[in-house]
Amino acid sequence: MPAVSAPPPLRFPSRDFFEALREAMRAERERFSRLGFFDTTFGVRISSDDGGEPAEFALRFEVFDCVGVESLAGVETDFVVEGPFAAWREMLDTIHALGAADTAHSLNTLTHFGEQLRVRYDDPDGHDKLYRFAESIQEFFDLSARLDFAYPDGSRPPAARAERQRSAR
Amino acid sequence: MSYLSTTDFTEDQPFVDRFERMLRGDLDLSWLDAPRERVTCRPENARRGLTFRDLDVGSYGFTDMPELIRENRSFAPRGAAMPEGLPDLQAEVNRKSEVWAYNIEGYYEEAMTRQWNATTDIPWAELQSVELPEDIGKAYAQLLTFLTEVEMIATDVPAKWMGRLNADFFEVKNFIATQAMDEARHAEIFRKRALSTGWGLMRASAQNEFNLKFLRDADSFAEASLALHLQAEGMVLTLFRFSEYISPTEGDKKLFRLVMQDEARHVGYGMQHLKWVLDHFPERREAIHHHLDEAENFVFGGGYATEVLEPFIILSGKGLKKENIAEGVRITNAFQLKQADEYFERLAKCGLPERRERSRLWKMIDLRKQTMAA
Ligand SMILES: [Fe+2]
Repeated sequence: MPAVSAPPPLRFPSRDFFEALREAMRAERERFSRLGFFDTTFGVRISSDDGGEPAEFALRFEVFDCVGVESLAGVETDFVVEGPFAAWREMLDTIHALGAADTAHSLNTLTHFGEQLRVRYDDPDGHDKLYRFAESIQEFFDLSARLDFAYPDGSRPPAARAERQRSAR
Repeated sequence: MSYLSTTDFTEDQPFVDRFERMLRGDLDLSWLDAPRERVTCRPENARRGLTFRDLDVGSYGFTDMPELIRENRSFAPRGAAMPEGLPDLQAEVNRKSEVWAYNIEGYYEEAMTRQWNATTDIPWAELQSVELPEDIGKAYAQLLTFLTEVEMIATDVPAKWMGRLNADFFEVKNFIATQAMDEARHAEIFRKRALSTGWGLMRASAQNEFNLKFLRDADSFAEASLALHLQAEGMVLTLFRFSEYISPTEGDKKLFRLVMQDEARHVGYGMQHLKWVLDHFPERREAIHHHLDEAENFVFGGGYATEVLEPFIILSGKGLKKENIAEGVRITNAFQLKQADEYFERLAKCGLPERRERSRLWKMIDLRKQTMAA
């Protein structure tokens, strides 16, 4: 009997990946409504390891939902989170293994001093939306723990650990 | 009792007669003819619900509100008919540009939907299962002591001003009410976290309290808002982000993300308010600089608050050993420069780009940058 092949996993980075996060968010409407109005458009920029063109997307949030994933070019954003593929991968790997970011990989921690990821903005008021909606944004990225995806080289994030012990210190 | 009725109603026969007539069914009904505007406001976006922006129509709205509120001196809700003889409440602030902010109605709605609960939204049981090393635990308990002290005054300041604003500034008063609630919750959560670390509260800070007293005793709402929303909370916002960065557990990180959301909203109001003032009441510019001069003096003096700075060094260096301290000093220095940079950046965006040139704080920071670079 011919083997039934599983559907190809999502790729990170890709528009489909963020569309899948958007779907996951929709499934968690109750949780995100509880967090409150979430009105911002921000960008993500994942630069490639080999010096190629970065992958760039604009994520549009309104009321309690993600209402659009677009390519970043020409979109007016409040801020853009950018960084090398390796930094994004490290964040996503941790989330996948633990179910949510640990102390070293929350978005605020990764961007605070711009050591791993950086936040670009023109208007400090737009920049401050990263903080006004901090918990919603973190929980949005934490939803990636549920996605089945692969990186460009075909490798996958680590499987979820049974013992989801995130660490102190 | 300082305010007494000029009438003793039980002794006032015409009043008693009218009251009895009404209870016999002889109604006055003059209020039925009160000249008011008929409107039916509906949500522009059904998913968002009925917002203050949906209510911004005609005499009920805020867009057409005059700069000086001469007419309404009472508690009459904006848009209601005002009969003769309403009391003059002698509100202290009756000029729109002294309180208004772009998008004030949006900040209010955001505040209402983003409320959270310190008792139930924090994974207290998970936090309890993590025992912090003594140096980290004590430093964290000291930071939490300082933050509790700060948040109590941050609650008092908006609460103090709320009743002093003209009733027509309804949206601002409501926003300030949410702020008082936010700050009370911050004081609550920092106290709860301090008392759950195993160390309890550490030491109050005199230097910090001088600064807090300055915030509380501002002579006008405009000064209070400038010093509280923009300067103090702007710096505290960077401090919360730094606290999230150095937090020892995921539960603590969540705690700081939740308080940072509220703080960023207050800073948003502060920025949009300052922009509004500079756009609509430009004569205030010099007074703003003078008030910032003193506010920044207090901030610089805050450098003496060892109860604040030292816990940061220990927490960011992750301990008390020599190499930990060196690393902690490096990181804390970077944090303080970032805090100042963001503060001046916000002022510039609000329309005060000359602040850097005029500020002695900026000069001190600049000097420190040069020393560090050398
Ligand atoms: Fe606060």
